[in-house]
Amino acid sequence: MLEQLQQVFREVFKDDALIITESTSAKDIKMWDSLTHLELIAAVETAFSIKFTFNEVMMFSNVGEMMALLEKKTKS
Amino acid sequence: MTFTSPLFLVFLIFAVSINYALPQRFRHLFLILCSFVFIGFYNIESLLAVLVFSLFNFFLAQSVKGNRFLFLVGLFVNAGAILLFNYFNTATNGFVFTFSSIHFNLDCFIIALGLSFYSLQNIAFLTEVYYERIKTENSLYNFILYTSFFPKVISGPVMLPAEFFPQINRNSITKTELTIGFQRFLTGLFKKMVIADRLAPAVSSVYDYPTSYSGMTVLAATYLFTIQLYFDFSGYTDMALGIAKMLGYDLKENFDTPLRSTSVSEFWRRWHISLISWFTQYIYYPVVYKLRSFKKTAALVGILFTFFVSGIWHGIGLTFTLWALCHAVYLSFELFTKGIRVKLSERLSGIGYKLISAFIVFNAICFSNIFFRAASAEKAFALIRSVFTSFVPQQWLSGFIAPLAIGGHQADEFNLYISVFLFSVFLLFENRLNKMAKSAHYRIPYIVILLMLIMLFGVFANGARFIYMQF
Repeated sequence: MLEQLQQVFREVFKDDALIITESTSAKDIKMWDSLTHLELIAAVETAFSIKFTFNEVMMFSNVGEMMALLEKKTKS
Repeated sequence: MTFTSPLFLVFLIFAVSINYALPQRFRHLFLILCSFVFIGFYNIESLLAVLVFSLFNFFLAQSVKGNRFLFLVGLFVNAGAILLFNYFNTATNGFVFTFSSIHFNLDCFIIALGLSFYSLQNIAFLTEVYYERIKTENSLYNFILYTSFFPKVISGPVMLPAEFFPQINRNSITKTELTIGFQRFLTGLFKKMVIADRLAPAVSSVYDYPTSYSGMTVLAATYLFTIQLYFDFSGYTDMALGIAKMLGYDLKENFDTPLRSTSVSEFWRRWHISLISWFTQYIYYPVVYKLRSFKKTAALVGILFTFFVSGIWHGIGLTFTLWALCHAVYLSFELFTKGIRVKLSERLSGIGYKLISAFIVFNAICFSNIFFRAASAEKAFALIRSVFTSFVPQQWLSGFIAPLAIGGHQADEFNLYISVFLFSVFLLFENRLNKMAKSAHYRIPYIVILLMLIMLFGVFANGARFIYMQF
């Protein structure tokens, strides 16, 4: 899942060398801020065919938290 | 009774000492009482408004959870309250609806005093309860203290419920905290009385007569206004945070050396932080979330809408609309050039890129602030035209020094240099000074130096108003 997510991050942030881990947060990626956050969310939703609620979008503080939710959503 | 008036100092000494002496469980009641006195002192209408709106929001919140209709009613009433507080003028001829832009130092505004800051917190509370991010508050006293706590009721910082409620009756007050709070209060007093209030007349003398001066003078006044606004508002915030600290509360930081920002989006993360995070959370993100499938267009619409609302919040009128438009344009530009700029910053040397960016951003902010400060759009455009025609003043003393120093005497000129020296030192070494102020070793000497500077160079105008009190 991390690899697939990394691919989405690379496409949205236009950086082919970008490496993400579970602890990666907006602080670690220069391109990731409030202007690009929802663009990333939309791309993740398309890639994994799921939908995040507004509350969920506001709660992520790093990649790990996003993955935990993704796992829950893709299983159900 | 502004924070800088002598009467407020008496009130503050009284409030801090009694609060300190009281057992912890009674402190919140005492602070509510102080807040009512503080608000009621401006005028009784403001106090009544606070009572009515607090009761309305408290009882609405009891059943707003998941109830869309009640939530919309709440939003409508509170947004209406902001418009009411900002635009109704009750002090002169009963209710007069003023759609023209707000002028500085408007004594006729009763200001149902900065109650637009108060209303933002009501909206935050209802939203958090509606979305079930927090439980509703069962104590009316705690709720009233959250919305009306006097250090923040006039001009913020805007606190979100989760940031304030856990602090009620929990924080102990030690002597060290009293000292730190007092020191922060004095830092704010220094910024306001020694720097901002000395720059205010310099800016006014040029901005009131936009066609009288050469480009360089107008440009200098424009730079000085942004610096004045920073010291006025961050000084106010320091005072609010210091007062709250002495009463046992930690309010949110509002500024993080914003004038050094290397992009406008960074500027908005470092300037008036509490307000912009409110706007981001309750306006920008909900809009962009709804439209997120449109990618960058969604962010663009979000920016435009947020600054449209922010412009209205600051005041209806062409000047605030133009100010908001400037920032919407800046941020849209940054949205579409972010990739290029990140690559450019990696290629160029760090410090060189930062310096050039900071210079460009500072100028962009100053440009937008022309609309923020000018009394009308015509005056703002006249000022901008002045910068680009006859840049160098014909007479150095009468065309440049005298308007900025408010007088052509040597003493006036000396005063101007003192101001420039003081704010330059502060702007350049702000982080280092703040760090020094916090260390136990320098705490007391720092207080003594601040007191001396205020006595020597302060403008004692019996409680000059803060710029942000009008909103």
